[in-house]
Amino acid sequence: MQLRSTLALAVAAGMLASCSKNESGPSNPGNFILTVSPAATTGAADYLLTAQTLDSDTITTKRNGVEQDGTYRYYVTHNGKFFSMLYGQGNPGAVTAYNIQDGKLNKLTNFQTETVQAFAPVNDDLLLFKISRNLTAPTSSWYKVNTNSLTITSEGTVNTLEMTKLGELAHFTWLKQVGTKVFAPYQTILDRSFNTKYPNQAFIAIFNYADMKLEKVITDDRASFLGSYFQDGLSVQENGDVYGFSPSAATTDNKISTTKPAAILKIKSGTTEFDQSYYFDVEAASGGMNITSWQYLGNNTYIVHSQSKAEKTSFPAGSRVGIVNVVDKTYKVVTGLPKLEDISNLTTNNYTPKDGKTGYVGVNLKDGNSFVYKIDASTQTATRGLRVEGGSITAIQHLK
Amino acid sequence: MLHPKGAFNCHIVPMYFRQLLLMCVCTIALSSHAQRLSSIRGVIQNQTGSPLPAITVRITELNKVTTSNQGGEYRFSNLTPGHYTLVFSGIGFKTLHKKAEVKAEEDSRIEVTLQESMVDLNTVTVVGRTEVQEVNRQAFNVTAVDAKQLYNSTLDLSSALDRVSGVRVRESGGVGSNFNLSLNGFSGNRIRYFIDGVPMDNFGSSFQINNIPINIADRLEVYKGVVPIWLGSDALGGAINIVTGDRFRNYVDASYSYGSFNTHRSVVNAAFTTKGGFTFRLNAFQNYSDNNYKVTVDASDIYTGKYQRDAVLRRFHDTYHNETVVANVGVVGKKFADQLLFGITLGKNYKEFQTGARMVAVFGGWHRRGNIVMPTLKYRKTDLIKGLDVTLNANYNLGQEQNIDTLSARFDWFGNSKPNVSGEGRGRSLSKYSNNNGLATATVNYKLSERQALALSNAFSTFNRKGSDVFNPSFTRGDVRPRLNKNVLGLGYTYDEKDKWSTSVFGKYLYQNTPGQSSFNKLGFGAAVSYFVTPTLQLKASYERANRLPEANELFGDVELVQGNLTLKPEESQNINAGFSYGFAAKEDHRFLINANAIYRYSYNYIYSRFNQNQSALVLDNLDGVFTVGGEGEVRYSYKKLFTLGTTLTYQYLQNQQEYVLDNYGNWVKSPVYKDQMPNIPFLFGNVDASVTLRNLGQKGNVLNIGYNMLYVHSFWLYWPSRGIASDITKSGIPMQLTHDMNAVYSLKNGRYNIGLEVRNLTNRRLYDNFSLQKPGRGFYLNVRYFFNSFKI
Repeated sequence: MQLRSTLALAVAAGMLASCSKNESGPSNPGNFILTVSPAATTGAADYLLTAQTLDSDTITTKRNGVEQDGTYRYYVTHNGKFFSMLYGQGNPGAVTAYNIQDGKLNKLTNFQTETVQAFAPVNDDLLLFKISRNLTAPTSSWYKVNTNSLTITSEGTVNTLEMTKLGELAHFTWLKQVGTKVFAPYQTILDRSFNTKYPNQAFIAIFNYADMKLEKVITDDRASFLGSYFQDGLSVQENGDVYGFSPSAATTDNKISTTKPAAILKIKSGTTEFDQSYYFDVEAASGGMNITSWQYLGNNTYIVHSQSKAEKTSFPAGSRVGIVNVVDKTYKVVTGLPKLEDISNLTTNNYTPKDGKTGYVGVNLKDGNSFVYKIDASTQTATRGLRVEGGSITAIQHLK
Repeated sequence: MLHPKGAFNCHIVPMYFRQLLLMCVCTIALSSHAQRLSSIRGVIQNQTGSPLPAITVRITELNKVTTSNQGGEYRFSNLTPGHYTLVFSGIGFKTLHKKAEVKAEEDSRIEVTLQESMVDLNTVTVVGRTEVQEVNRQAFNVTAVDAKQLYNSTLDLSSALDRVSGVRVRESGGVGSNFNLSLNGFSGNRIRYFIDGVPMDNFGSSFQINNIPINIADRLEVYKGVVPIWLGSDALGGAINIVTGDRFRNYVDASYSYGSFNTHRSVVNAAFTTKGGFTFRLNAFQNYSDNNYKVTVDASDIYTGKYQRDAVLRRFHDTYHNETVVANVGVVGKKFADQLLFGITLGKNYKEFQTGARMVAVFGGWHRRGNIVMPTLKYRKTDLIKGLDVTLNANYNLGQEQNIDTLSARFDWFGNSKPNVSGEGRGRSLSKYSNNNGLATATVNYKLSERQALALSNAFSTFNRKGSDVFNPSFTRGDVRPRLNKNVLGLGYTYDEKDKWSTSVFGKYLYQNTPGQSSFNKLGFGAAVSYFVTPTLQLKASYERANRLPEANELFGDVELVQGNLTLKPEESQNINAGFSYGFAAKEDHRFLINANAIYRYSYNYIYSRFNQNQSALVLDNLDGVFTVGGEGEVRYSYKKLFTLGTTLTYQYLQNQQEYVLDNYGNWVKSPVYKDQMPNIPFLFGNVDASVTLRNLGQKGNVLNIGYNMLYVHSFWLYWPSRGIASDITKSGIPMQLTHDMNAVYSLKNGRYNIGLEVRNLTNRRLYDNFSLQKPGRGFYLNVRYFFNSFKI
């Protein structure tokens, strides 16, 4: 009898669920976009939620949000548009472009690129790089996608094995526009597990953007590679100076092998060489912390994510938050965040108004709750803001 | 021919198995054992001398009833001496009355030959008791499909199964495309396939239910959730047994069809048997299709990335063909064997891959080749000693598989390509390997008395992969070698009071071992009960605690898309079925049959596939659990010999029971979709079929049959139903599917010559079983068939 009633209930529920297929707008219109991924082992897709503010309120993926086809997506905002890019190994990379109208996401178009391992805004373009991990096929390809026409306008290749002259492949950690050039910091790899025999060097390939000609490669042996896989390790200051962090994460035989501490290096504005007069030993200044990700707030100030020495991993993702001033060479711990052992992960694709002191970080807790925290760099405090239900936050963006 | 380790591969006799045995023995001891008196037995044949199974034999004076077995044999024991009248009746045969005298303590033999009669088979499907319905009357939740009625169609086994309630076959494209059959929501390797009771595990790509034509089969038995022990396997969600049967001693059945998308299919089935019992049997079939049907797709330009919305384009790299021959020689009706056959299955297939898991991923240079070279042995003997039936089967597959893509280029839907310079993503492959599968099964049945029987079955299989790939030197060279031995031992007891009630209890002991790894030992058990309230109203209930062991391809990878996971645990499930079947007639000419079943499943360590860490391949892993409730029903109606109508409907609700999941950072976090409905699984579907049969049309003995079949699948979401705005525009889903198929068959000379015309997807709708993977549009097929069985050698 109980089975029957359960069955009847289930039938009714199923019918209801399948009948409620009407179109409705987001329950929380606004110009902030939060990308949320429900924790599920199968059938997981990302959802784009809008919010009016990051400082308070609650939003949810339950019957709300614009579904993205599949998870493993990357998001970037450029030229007034929000791009949702699928990382589909081997399959073509589907990209959907949105803008915001009256606080609602408005789909502009789909287009197709390649699955790429690095992408960055350059002028009105997105520069994409598909990077080889195969010593016998060392050709990496770049693509320029125009964000006005939303098409690939040019493409080309570069031999990333020849680039290093070390018998290892250059694998760009990320790309950064610096004036008319593109700086591409890389790690050298000899296999698909990203092992190297050169764990104690930092490298940047410098391209002329107009023709994507490789101009030079600069190296520095005071630190291990800059940035890390899918982490933007370079930052351009208001005055044109470029800073780069090294998480100290290079591996040999699948073990962290670098002997260089986590550090920050500098390239002076207008030059294409490491500034040998500048070196910031982050580990020494912080009592053993590295930097796994950072966000520039303006005024030489960064929110950084860190790991202690004991927590260090080869694909680093720190759950500690600090404030770094690259000119003063200081590292200060932020207070007000949940306990370290309760945090699953922090988001690394975040929003800042660039006022020199304010930034937002998504904090995903192990109990399934997720919050946006507002960080005040001037007081090194974090305050709990928007609550996100039904998944973990993967990016916090803003569109006008 | 048997594997050296033998059919009774008892590495260990575990404690619980001994207890189970003891339990069964006790149950048997409790029931009384009647004294043996006189008996009548014999063999029933048709005019050509072929034994007739499923013939009802009744002693009118005693109101005793029995049915003939596969060998046409029947038997009544415990008779008191006297004069009796035997009535032999069966579908398609004239009823025969025969007087018999039984003397004290004597075995009387009454052999009979039945004359065929022109009884309408369609009426019979509702009222009569063909072998197919005999299967349906078992205590198990089982549906049997009479394949014979589909012989003039171009269906393969999987599309015939798609019409069964509770079954949904999802195909990725046209002829030879990948398929996934689900049974009450369980799919993939939870469902096991058998051919005449022999597991089809690891037969390779050349001999699969999506490339075997329906004409090979006599009937298809679909066991849902609870699987009897004589199908010796680790099926968890159910089993499908393809019964090829041996209906005729001598016959030729040949058909050929041609249709849309350059599709050719032919089938030849034949058997020749001499008076002395020497027999030769042949099944040969072939499928070929260009599969160049039109699809509607957002086709991107490979150079600019711009999509052309809703472009209508032909598939250009999707040719499929397979050719298979199954040949058997041996003897039938000998003292030492009812059947002893030595055979070989030879086959090969070629398949081009047009798309990946999505239609946006277009391929133009990737294909697969496979072959099967499999010697087989089949042995069967009833009453080896009194009441003891023995069946032995063994086979060894020496076939090879090859996965070939030497281009490593990226294609678009317009056929343009660009070389994939970095080799990232789908790289080149030139793998060649054989899985070397061996299998030996043995089943022993012992009739303890008229109503009680004991059955013991054992299935042993072995797997040993060898191969190489010039583009991948580490191929099959891992630390743990891809080798596996599996043994399934089953013991069952059945008490059967014909047409009153029957019950079965059974236990299964499963063992699996890979050298260098810890082995799996699992015990499963179950019971099935059936009760006839009236002769036409049957109640059924069954329960099984079922186990499913990880497959070789799941542990070691399939060398292509699936990466191995040596830590995979067996999946366990509690399966419960309850249902009824009721047949009745209104005014004699209007006949109805109603079947309904409710199901409950709860599976632990649910095996599912996910992406590996760098998303280059799939990995099988365990999920805490999935819970399923559902129901399915079937109503059939027939009017005289003229018209039939049937409909099935299935509803199933699968719920996610995984409360905590591992996130990308290796932490266990609470899942927001705990207790949500499982995504990407059809939950409401059904079909309707109707047919009109016009007899003696044009000439006596000619029949025109016009049939219609409709398939309905309710729309379902690709991702979790509770997440995101529930709108077709922003949420991915598989839209409601409604397909109409029609066919007309004109049979001449009592079915010797047949001409069929078939239209599939009559309304030319865009059909999808899987998100974005479009299936063929409207297609026309012409089928000619010749069937001849009235000859002797």
